[in-house]
Amino acid sequence: MKKVTIAALTILMIGLAACKKNDDPGPGNDNFETLKSTVLTDFTNIVAVPGYSALDNSAGALSTAIQNLNTDASEANLTAAKTAWKNMRGVWEKCEGYLFGPVEDNDYDPNMDTWPTDYVQMDSLLKSTNALTVNDLQNITLSLRGYHPIEYIIFGDHGNRTAASITARQKAYMVSLTTDLKTTCHALYLSWTSAPVNFAQQVVTAGIGSTVYTKKQQAYLAIVEAMIAICEEVGEGKMKEPFDARDPSIVESPYSGNSVSDFKDNIIGLQNVYLGKFGAGDGKGINDLVAVKNIALDNKLQSQITAAVNSFDNISVFYELAIISQRPQCQQTMTALATLKGTLEDELKPFIIQYIQD
Amino acid sequence: MKKLFVISSMLFIVILFTMCNKAGVFADSGYDERLSGGIATVFDETSKSFGHQVTGLNERDGIVHGLGDGAFEKTFVSAPAPINSGLGPVFNNVSCISCHHNDGKGTPTAGFVNSSLLFRLSIPGTDVNGGPLAINGFGGQLQDVSIFGKQPEATVNISYTNEIVTYPDGATVTLRKPTYTLINAYQALPAGYLISPRLAPPVFGVGLLENIPEATILSFADENDADGDGISGRPNYVYNPYTNQTELGRFGLKANTPNLLVQVASAYNQDMGITNYVFSKESSWGQPQSDNLNDDPELPDSTINNVVFYIKTLAVPARRNVTDPDIIKGKQLFTQINCSGCHKPLVQTGINVTLRSVSNQRIQPFTDLLLHDMGDGLADNRPDFLATGKEWRTTPLWGIGLFAKTNGTPFYLHDGRARTIEEAILWHGGEAENIKQRFMQLSKTDRTSLLKFIQSL
Repeated sequence: MKKVTIAALTILMIGLAACKKNDDPGPGNDNFETLKSTVLTDFTNIVAVPGYSALDNSAGALSTAIQNLNTDASEANLTAAKTAWKNMRGVWEKCEGYLFGPVEDNDYDPNMDTWPTDYVQMDSLLKSTNALTVNDLQNITLSLRGYHPIEYIIFGDHGNRTAASITARQKAYMVSLTTDLKTTCHALYLSWTSAPVNFAQQVVTAGIGSTVYTKKQQAYLAIVEAMIAICEEVGEGKMKEPFDARDPSIVESPYSGNSVSDFKDNIIGLQNVYLGKFGAGDGKGINDLVAVKNIALDNKLQSQITAAVNSFDNISVFYELAIISQRPQCQQTMTALATLKGTLEDELKPFIIQYIQD
Repeated sequence: MKKLFVISSMLFIVILFTMCNKAGVFADSGYDERLSGGIATVFDETSKSFGHQVTGLNERDGIVHGLGDGAFEKTFVSAPAPINSGLGPVFNNVSCISCHHNDGKGTPTAGFVNSSLLFRLSIPGTDVNGGPLAINGFGGQLQDVSIFGKQPEATVNISYTNEIVTYPDGATVTLRKPTYTLINAYQALPAGYLISPRLAPPVFGVGLLENIPEATILSFADENDADGDGISGRPNYVYNPYTNQTELGRFGLKANTPNLLVQVASAYNQDMGITNYVFSKESSWGQPQSDNLNDDPELPDSTINNVVFYIKTLAVPARRNVTDPDIIKGKQLFTQINCSGCHKPLVQTGINVTLRSVSNQRIQPFTDLLLHDMGDGLADNRPDFLATGKEWRTTPLWGIGLFAKTNGTPFYLHDGRARTIEEAILWHGGEAENIKQRFMQLSKTDRTSLLKFIQSL
């Protein structure tokens, strides 16, 4: 009987011990704590910095191609310049998946990507005898600088430019424009990698010494807000505005007909951020964090992002034509983007606020 | 049985009347201090924090807000152009967003593509409407950029000299005092002209400010300092070119603008050279380099209305860290040394049946929207309607702690001369001189708490 009592007491003690409040974060939480740092490091070192490095390099490649075209105005060199422009554009649009930090603080974005082009002033400038060196261009109005004036010169109207038709003044202008663009991209890259800004360091040390992000949560929210913003810009701005107005003249990148690729690359940029990927680089992304706590949300986000990215492939003509002839396909993409934006706002942002509080 | 009926009836009546007591006002502790804009508050502390739509807009209003948002970012180009046509011929910048960086403040330079500073111009005297007297050939605002082939009215040279301020405890702060010089004027400026620098302010929360009852603003006024606290505070009354009436000034750094329509219309016209239904003549009207054609407006009426609605429905970012003991202490000091005399922490907006998000909200704008003498250090010495050359409108402090996020590098005060909130406080003079002195006499710890509180706004 005594043995029974002892056994009963033992069971009771074990039972009560088991009843203590569960302070143990449970499976996956050690991993989660580590991941919180790893994801920020990988975002920086695998997505953002390589993205800006690729942008810097592609600006160099464009500059070389434009120089070659300037030296020898052959059709082959014009084609090479167009390819280099589109390559660079693809990298930039992907970088727009994380439009925060120096790119907005120092106005690098409007310095290289202002739309529309000011044709009247461009014509006046080209007809004048004003010098067209890089210095001359660096404080002219933004609508005469960056991607789109270069695009206009090398593509013409929907790609109808011929190498022989590019005038000497246009050549001088495009050479300085690409040099200016390269300078901007290099400065953007340096702002992440070197003093005085060294923004990469600010993100990596979020919550542990960063002066910009005193908490990790702030860095995560900056990333998520940028994801939301690019969804909004594409789905509710760049696509919706010409779509609603049925006005092809509002569509960006009309000379190269590159609009749909631009839009798609923006959302691939968002996908890169979520998955922690860029090019061949593949690190830990926000998806890994989400999966630890809420696999259903991760599945949902991955599937909505993929759906949004793939939906662009249904638009098979230039966007300025698609807003007239492929309206259901355009609408389908905008709906996919609105759905994705809703999940980012209503589920991913609260997830960050709930689980990343330091 | 009858007795039981009487007793239960009386009990029922007592209970019924008890329930009828008038609803009391919530205690302060019943409110969430973070809700700076009441229902029109957004929880975001990133660089995008000034750009959020208020919650609760219906679908149609959401669309209008979106259209205004798009228009706010539109870059104007010179005419004739298929879209966004009509820039200039002289202007300050090419889009709303160029100056109002991330819907916030910008950079205190002038004439560059990323500049957010403009200069009002006049000569002594008043015009027929009681406003500043414009200069022939220049108007009331300097346009320091031009389209190709035209000449800016003038350019502005900005230089700073350092001034050291020393606290009683020996700590020092370096202030930078700006000097503004107009150079390369396209024609001679008259002798004795007056200039006033204005850095683009944030544009969120302005729908709430527009909805503060006039009587509330006037109740803050104490023109003759009857309560003897050293703070007077008086309203500006300004000419509304759309209604052709004199009205209470609410917006603009000297409260020289009556409402958001006139504010937005004036910015399009004066800052970008875009004519519209409120201001139908080019800013360069009458100048030799203007075409002087009255063939406009360049801006569709709907666009200006959309942009007005857009800024009217931009939410106020929530306060942060409100339970931090230092910040609670800072808040007490803010009231104790009477910063709150002008920077009113609590204001109730009026009823607005057309826009629920700004209607009847308990907001924390930290402004009284009145003019105050800020002393010689900040004086522009250029009267603007009833505002003297030393008076400025109390700047709303909500969102001020996020300037570093929205702008990268934060700048404070009407011309961005202050690089920190501490510098901005130390520039206060005039009616705020005593309060500044009280701030300076605080211990270093208390000063830090007060600054942390302001950073939490």
